[in-house]
Amino acid sequence: MTWLRNIANWLDSRLGLWAPVRDMATHRVPRRSASFFYVFGSAAFVLFILQIVTGILLAFVYVPTGADAWNSLQALNHGVWLGWFLRAIHGWGADFMVAVVLLHLCQVFLFGAYKFPRELNWVIGVCLLLLTLGMAFTGQVLRFDQDAYWGLGIGASIVGRVPFVGAVLVHLLLGGPMINGATLSRFFTLHVFVIPALLIGLVGLHLLLVLKLGINEWPMPGRVVRRETYLREYEEELRKDSIPFVPDAIWKDMVFAAAIVLAVMACAALFGPFGPRGIPDPTIIQTVPQPDFFFLWLYALLALLPPQMETPVLLVAPIFVIGAFLLLPFVAGEGEKSWRRRPVAVLSMLLIAVSLASLTSLANRTPWSPVMDAWSGDPVPRPDLQGRSPLELRGALVFQDEQCRNCHSLGGVGGQRGPALDAVATTLTQDQLIRQVLQGGGNMPAYGKNLTPPEVTALVAFLETLHPVGELPARNASQKEMENAAPLPPQSVR
Amino acid sequence: MLLAVMMLASTVACNNLPGRPAPVSDVLRPSQQTDFAALYAQNCAACHGPRGEGGAAIALAGPLYLATVSDQVLRSVTTDGIPGTPMPAFGQSAGGTLTVQQIAALVDGIRKWVPAGAAEGVRPPSYVAGVPGEAKRGAIVYQSFCSSCHGPGGDGGKAAGSIVDPSFLALVSDQGLRTTVIFGRPELGAPDWRGDVPGHPMTDQEVSDVVAWMAAHRVPYPGQPYPSGAGKSLQGGER
Ligand code: HEC
Ligand code: HEC
Ligand code: HEC
Repeated sequence: MTWLRNIANWLDSRLGLWAPVRDMATHRVPRRSASFFYVFGSAAFVLFILQIVTGILLAFVYVPTGADAWNSLQALNHGVWLGWFLRAIHGWGADFMVAVVLLHLCQVFLFGAYKFPRELNWVIGVCLLLLTLGMAFTGQVLRFDQDAYWGLGIGASIVGRVPFVGAVLVHLLLGGPMINGATLSRFFTLHVFVIPALLIGLVGLHLLLVLKLGINEWPMPGRVVRRETYLREYEEELRKDSIPFVPDAIWKDMVFAAAIVLAVMACAALFGPFGPRGIPDPTIIQTVPQPDFFFLWLYALLALLPPQMETPVLLVAPIFVIGAFLLLPFVAGEGEKSWRRRPVAVLSMLLIAVSLASLTSLANRTPWSPVMDAWSGDPVPRPDLQGRSPLELRGALVFQDEQCRNCHSLGGVGGQRGPALDAVATTLTQDQLIRQVLQGGGNMPAYGKNLTPPEVTALVAFLETLHPVGELPARNASQKEMENAAPLPPQSVR
Repeated sequence: MLLAVMMLASTVACNNLPGRPAPVSDVLRPSQQTDFAALYAQNCAACHGPRGEGGAAIALAGPLYLATVSDQVLRSVTTDGIPGTPMPAFGQSAGGTLTVQQIAALVDGIRKWVPAGAAEGVRPPSYVAGVPGEAKRGAIVYQSFCSSCHGPGGDGGKAAGSIVDPSFLALVSDQGLRTTVIFGRPELGAPDWRGDVPGHPMTDQEVSDVVAWMAAHRVPYPGQPYPSGAGKSLQGGER
């Protein structure tokens, strides 16, 4: 084995790498910082490497042309040994990477690690987050299926709203006036060359700064960062209470990174690759295109924004949000680091997290878009049919045939664009039901011109049966008088 | 050797992983879908019931129904719908979304719900009216076979609702009425042609007559004006 060592020595005598690498590996970190809270950065790095390796392997087979991209993914899924698994790892790796990068951001934010002297590293980190999201978006486009097609369409329409230069930007983004092979070439180049190069460069810088400035110490309430004294205090802590990164601190990073990689592989094995879903053909309208997980919140936000708010929110909000992120360390570069003493920081982070989570869960249900198959696919619940007259049964059929079900659920099944109608008869009288059907209103189309009088009669007869057993339907005053009924229980008549 | 065994084992294991995409995933164009279960669930289940057992519209899976109705009828009704009723036209030729192959797959699948010979030995009245009906005779047929449930005048009784309501009659075809009288709506408690009066199956003639009687209750302007005057000023146009 001496010859091996000789070769190594020869190489090192020429390259001189061993000493700096050893110094880097054994640099000292505050003992309390060697914690499981400080492992997200290294896990993101490991995932990045995983993405590079699987990405290169995928590129061996993937054909970045409009005509063949989709087919080459099919070939990977079905023709290449474990090709599907490779795709699945790359896809899940992307999801995990976005998640871990976000966790890393939260941890850095909560632990005040962006404060003096680490401002620049925070700025670089924000850029890395944006680049990671850029990778996620361009990667989704490379699938070149329906989701990609519509995702691009939405992206292009956002860009198209930029004043003055919008049209030019769209042309630049899509490589022409429409989404086609040229678009794919652009996104391939971005995904494979441009963004990864930037990522690699910035990741290097990011790590360099971590080494140079040292890892953030464990924040203690009351230990305030001051520009004049911080560096001295940090040195002091390193001298008194620190351990070498290798081997004493690194094992936690390794354990966590291994767990994450295993989780990626498990997800890949269990849930498989993403898509490709239907071929990208705008003439197929029976599709519910959905962006990938990390953009779902945006999709929900776009769907929920009132139209006149869209342009300001889409164009102005990102500038403010990104601006706020970049300025943060310069505005709050000193002071308390501990999250216990920073209620505003903790609350604003919770607020953002809760909003993103609820938007994401909304996007999974898409209550704003009609369910296109509900009218012919979702059976009228059996209890709504039992004991009904022939006219009411026809009304249920008209309800389905006129696609009311696409927006209105019965028994929890159907669209959610309009309110569920299971108990509509308890709140609306016959008159009000007829009026609602004929005139629509509040996002519901008016059906007056599309329904014949018998259809309306049957439909309303059916709607009037929709009330829970034992709860009386709403009546209007004249109906009450005519029937001279016993006093009805209090009920809401709108 | 060991390596080879491991490779083999991992190949077998990997081919069975749940994440492996199925050979035919959801990448079909909707018009290429010819799987009966998927087609039926997407297009017909809402009205005819998840397994054709009947929903708001009549059952398609009844053994006697399937023994009587022809493929030709199943195909043409699915393609062109039944005008004036909520049975929509599904064929691309009639503005729907289904191709000729898909409709053939549907008809084929509906047939396979019931094993051949399931209705051996039973002879329902013919599906298509063989003899013209007469409303006057139908009134008498109605009294003997139907009034026990639908009431003396047909406008609703203890066990069942009105079958002479003009709006109902405007939304149902004569064939639809005939199919109902012959095969009933067992899932809703409506008897077939043998069950109206036990031991007295209806004849072809009686079915035609009672259908003619119901059809005679159609009026020129059904459903107008809306009850309690609502929407008088909003009256919708004719389609
Ligand atoms: C495009 C989606 C859409 C379709 C299709 C649709 N609706 Fe609506 N519907 C709505 C919305 C949205 C509302 C809520 C309107 C509002 O806020 O005033 C609504 C309200 C109603 C209401 C009042 C419910 C309440 O509790 O106030 C009734 C009744 C109703 N729709 C019946 C129907 C019927 C019957 C049809 C079919 C002929 C139909 N809708 C088709 C979207 C739809
Ligand atoms: C044993 C009671 C009973 C008898 C007898 C009976 N029916 Fe019915 N019928 C029902 C029930 C129950 C329904 C379901 C609708 C309802 O409950 O009102 C129904 C529904 C119908 C329908 C509507 C079906 C639909 O799809 O909407 C028609 C038409 C009909 N019956 C015609 C007749 C005729 C004609 C006769 C006589 C030949 C008859 N019925 C005899 C119980 C009966
Ligand atoms: C919107 C509700 C609706 C949907 C969806 C629907 N049907 Fe129908 N169907 C009806 C109604 C209502 C009738 C009875 C019409 C009449 O004759 O009055 C009917 C009648 C039929 C009949 C004829 C029954 C007879 O009288 O012999 C066939 C066959 C049929 N449907 C097949 C289908 C098939 C196959 C599909 C799916 C591709 C389908 N239907 C989807 C409502 C529907």
